[in-house]
Amino acid sequence: MKTDKELIKEFQNGNKASFDELVKRHLPDTYGFFIKFTADEVEAEDLAQDVFIKMFKALKKFRFESEFKTYLFRANVNMSNTYLRRNKWRNMLHLDQAPEQGYMDTSYEDEWRKKELWDGVAKLPSRQRMVVTMRIAQEMPYKEISDIMGISENSAKVNYHHAVKALKEKLQD
Amino acid sequence: MNIENRFQQISQSNFETPDSDTFIEKLHGERQKRHVKKMGIINGIRAAAFVAVFGLITTNQLTDDPAAYASNDLKPLEVMDSETEEYVYDLAEYLVENSDDIWETLAFLDNIEFEPVTKMNDGGIK
Repeated sequence: MKTDKELIKEFQNGNKASFDELVKRHLPDTYGFFIKFTADEVEAEDLAQDVFIKMFKALKKFRFESEFKTYLFRANVNMSNTYLRRNKWRNMLHLDQAPEQGYMDTSYEDEWRKKELWDGVAKLPSRQRMVVTMRIAQEMPYKEISDIMGISENSAKVNYHHAVKALKEKLQD
Repeated sequence: MNIENRFQQISQSNFETPDSDTFIEKLHGERQKRHVKKMGIINGIRAAAFVAVFGLITTNQLTDDPAAYASNDLKPLEVMDSETEEYVYDLAEYLVENSDDIWETLAFLDNIEFEPVTKMNDGGIK
């Protein structure tokens, strides 16, 4: 099986099938990231599509300074930040339309709690939001998070703990 | 439920990845669509820039001096050019010098002089 690097080199030499192979290989992780992030299949697919379209352009000039997986994940995080900035997040979650607590069944309540949590995450400072997103969406170890964000492992841990503390206060957990 | 449990619940949630072949097909379709759209925008900007530059260059050739336009507009009223005028004067001088009856000659020249103006008033001059 070819490595990501080999596939990218082939793609840079004009073989588009190699790009398709890369997409097949990384689609589950990328889609998985966005489905946990949005809890919406259509939105998740659209975001994954946007990321791979960006990759199609970016990989032509990729200089192999980092692993493709890291590069892709950074793109996912940036895309999620862009998504939050566009303020679609709140609209998508329909937070204003939340029903009264007493009328919720258990499954809906779980879903609502998830959405409430993501809304809290969306309001965190950028760095904390990124760390938490990576921890929640992909259960990524701090080492990997620090590599992706270009910060120390300790800084990643500190940001995570600050984020959890802030979320607890916001959600009165 | 505490935050950590909620995190765990989200990260352990199940999902079904879309079919990769269909996804790739849609991906390239969308990519092409965006490319065409982008090229349309670029071509639009190019056309607008061309029109702007062409308009600017054309406008810069206009002058603020109204006399320039007036002289152009009045051009059809010039009955004679300088060469013709010189020829007419020479001819008139010759006629006057060689005429037996100078008054008759002058009357004739008057007729010639005023004939173009008369024709112009009648709409005969182009």
